[in-house]
Amino acid sequence: MLTYLARRLAFAVTTVLAASVVSFLLVHASSGSPGAITAGAGATPAQVAAENHRLGWDQPLVTQYLTWLGHAASGNFGVSLIDGHNIWSDLMARLPVTASIAVFATLLSGVFGVLIGVAAAVRSGLADRAVTVGSGVALSLPQFWIGILLVYLIAIKAHLLPATGYVAFSASPSQYLQSLALPVITLTITGTAIIARTTRTGMISALRQEHIRTLHALGTPPWRIRYVHALRFAAAPVVSVLGIQFIALFGGSVVIEQLFALPGLGQAAQNAIGTNDFPAVQGVVVIATVVVVITNLVLDLVLAAIDPRVRTA
Amino acid sequence: MRVPRALRTVGGVLSAAWLVFLLLASVTASWWLPYQVDAQDPAHTLAGPSASHWLGTDDLGRDVLSRIAAGSWISVGPALLAVVVAFGIGIPLALLAAEHGRWVEHGFSRFAELLLALPSIVILLAFVGAVGVHPWAIMTVLGVLLSAPVYRIFLGQAQSLRTQLYVDAARVNGVSSLRVNLRHVLPAMATTIAVQAAQLFAISVLIEAGLAFMGFGPSVPSPSWGGLIAAASQHVYDDPWLMVPTGVVLALTVIAANGLADAVAGGREREAATPRHRKPRTSVRAATGGTHATEGMLLDVRDLTVAVGGPDGPALVTGVSFALPPGTVLGLVGESGCGKTMTARALPGLLPEGVEVTGGSVWFAGRDSADRDSAGRDSAGRDLAGLPDKELQAIRGREIAVISQEPMVALDPMFSVGYQLTQPIRRFRGVGRAEARRIAAELLGQVGIVDAGRMLRSYPHQLSGGMAQRVCIALALTGSPKLLIADEPTTALDVTVQAEILSLLRALVRTTGLSVIIVSHDPGVVADLCDEVAVMYAGQVVESGTVAEVLGQPAHPYTAALLAANPHVAEGLPVPERLPSIPGTVPAPPDWPAGCRFASRCSLATAECAAPVPATPAHGAAKVHGAANHGTGTVRCVHPLSSPAELPVPHPVERGVPS
Repeated sequence: MLTYLARRLAFAVTTVLAASVVSFLLVHASSGSPGAITAGAGATPAQVAAENHRLGWDQPLVTQYLTWLGHAASGNFGVSLIDGHNIWSDLMARLPVTASIAVFATLLSGVFGVLIGVAAAVRSGLADRAVTVGSGVALSLPQFWIGILLVYLIAIKAHLLPATGYVAFSASPSQYLQSLALPVITLTITGTAIIARTTRTGMISALRQEHIRTLHALGTPPWRIRYVHALRFAAAPVVSVLGIQFIALFGGSVVIEQLFALPGLGQAAQNAIGTNDFPAVQGVVVIATVVVVITNLVLDLVLAAIDPRVRTA
Repeated sequence: MRVPRALRTVGGVLSAAWLVFLLLASVTASWWLPYQVDAQDPAHTLAGPSASHWLGTDDLGRDVLSRIAAGSWISVGPALLAVVVAFGIGIPLALLAAEHGRWVEHGFSRFAELLLALPSIVILLAFVGAVGVHPWAIMTVLGVLLSAPVYRIFLGQAQSLRTQLYVDAARVNGVSSLRVNLRHVLPAMATTIAVQAAQLFAISVLIEAGLAFMGFGPSVPSPSWGGLIAAASQHVYDDPWLMVPTGVVLALTVIAANGLADAVAGGREREAATPRHRKPRTSVRAATGGTHATEGMLLDVRDLTVAVGGPDGPALVTGVSFALPPGTVLGLVGESGCGKTMTARALPGLLPEGVEVTGGSVWFAGRDSADRDSAGRDSAGRDLAGLPDKELQAIRGREIAVISQEPMVALDPMFSVGYQLTQPIRRFRGVGRAEARRIAAELLGQVGIVDAGRMLRSYPHQLSGGMAQRVCIALALTGSPKLLIADEPTTALDVTVQAEILSLLRALVRTTGLSVIIVSHDPGVVADLCDEVAVMYAGQVVESGTVAEVLGQPAHPYTAALLAANPHVAEGLPVPERLPSIPGTVPAPPDWPAGCRFASRCSLATAECAAPVPATPAHGAAKVHGAANHGTGTVRCVHPLSSPAELPVPHPVERGVPS
């Protein structure tokens, strides 16, 4: 178990380094230069060159990367080329927004998806058909489209929730929840559909296992057979998909953050890319990769906790 | 012409039709478009559907239908490119890795893992930042990122295909590796490739739309669907309709791609659609089994009929009757497909989905207080065949326990042996955690497991087959049942372990007074363990009686043939060069004749055998009277054998009827 953990950790560090190299190279492959941005629109080539020199852009790539890496290791991602803000503290300020959406949406998708998936697997016929078709449709619509539909129905027509914007928890817990509601519901619809499908497939195969028959033969109550034994047997793929969902929400909620005007990491990524804010792009990529890597580590531990065959192998 | 399997379902046809239509429409758009893409109609801005603008107009009065059609290629094409790139990289690498063994595979796989661990959307955005908005280039990068999961899926397939004999044979015969891959490996992967490609295409279309929605799509005048939705979202307050057409077209495209994948995969959904929920039936069976059990019997099965899908469905078991006094062991013996297992599983209501008891009765004298008369003796008992599932559930484990054929898969791999034992003990005996653990250890001791403490901490995958079967037996004992049903309890085990398990069962019967029904195809096991035996053939009991009577002096030709075909050679006799066997096979339920079902394989069959044969008393049973008569032997044959001299011992012939 310890060597396994050590191997996973080593792989995690490698992944983050790889992501930083990739983003570093991408930034440098760009036609622009940071000097052109800081010097402003009307700057002469000499001024741009001077700015680039000041920012270290004219040094060899390896030197630049190592310098960046040294700073990044101590939590210093440099300052934004656009507004001069510290990138690390800006990203840390945005983290709670994205994390809130990701955590709420993942939890809700997990709960609803598992309940619906189990119900569909246990009851065949109309209910099962409805779940299959419903989740199929939900997965075929782009999330942003569902989001706009919800804005129209809930915010514009029914005036139940604010359409856009974000209120910090510390400012007002109730408004915080209200501001998160629509984005979280949007993401939960898709998430629930995926989890319900995974759970349904897993449960159908789990309920056909021989050991489930043993439990029936022992007069085990059906709820215990379904929710304790079959569900745990079907849990591994469901947990894996939940993990993938969480990663997708963290790294890929860019669209949703734009739609609902949420100041999260996705918005930071979009801004940084839109404005060629090189150090910020790099910072976002690294933070997103760290989140992916940590999620994968937690996922491995959860899977080992669920399945003794993984744990004791 | 052969119709591809994918097009034999309605969903498959509709999906393919939509995708073809879309492709044609996008390619030919410039010829039939009612309006130019950017032709403005200031008189009709933000209009709903009308005769002139079927899907309405946008904020500049441009025709929505024309814009969707014109944008279809730029919305779908790059997604197709991503799929092509993903497969173009993923599959060759998977084939190379499968072919060149560990080191290449190791290197490729680590790299794929790395790609998988990168946040793909963010990387994609960083790429957009570096090179600008070029849909085709962006989707190429997405294809590279998606090649990792493609590689992962096909590596497994390619590896297993390469170990297939025909692929191996081709290679041994000197066929070049490229040819082996092209001729044998790739075609075998075709279905998976089609399924994965369709699904990946669906994902790519959504990702592309998302990028376009954020403004990272094709530049403004040439509309892509994501861009159209983004523009429509600006008017969600004043013209929500504008959202609908593009959303529906996009969704239909994704649904069609997924539908095509499902259709190509085939079978999967159909298999899942078989009925899974068996409604507890109570009154379908005919009341043919009398009103109470024979006195003194623990179990009295009368005229039991089991059929698939209700009373009108094909029967698997017909008119089976036998009785079991307390403390005895009954063997149900016969070839595979004779209905032994169905009979045994019908007793506690554990039939598979879709199979049910359609007639007869299963009288069981349980310990339920309702079954006792005023003197406290067991009364006639209850008819289990009529009980709803809820009530049967209370009987299972507590009164009737079951041991299955395959101990290695009969235990839940997710839970420790300790949990699996203590959980029913607590339920059955109403004791606490610690006491349940003590009882569990005691039961393990009873089934011959020495280190009970360690066993309680073990998981099923750590056990051998013999150990697992011992645990299963301990599990069956948790409710102190009166009747144990063991379905081929030793078939899956090694020969030496078989003997151990059989002697364990024998010891349990002696020490606990348990009644046992053993299902076996092996007359040796039955002779070893049982007091009574019922020989089954094609869903019927053809002969029953005590072991000594039935096995010692079989009255039914089938019993005699079964005994003769038994490979256990008595001591002192020479081992035959070729094992005798019964010619032919057990007829399947639809082929059962009206008369004797064994007639077609029987050397003694005559014209009389074509008429239905009732069960008649045998082995002198008619002479025995009294309540608890043990001589309940029966035989279902027109020409019962009366002396051992008549035994139609089958000769070791390859085919044909034994003389």
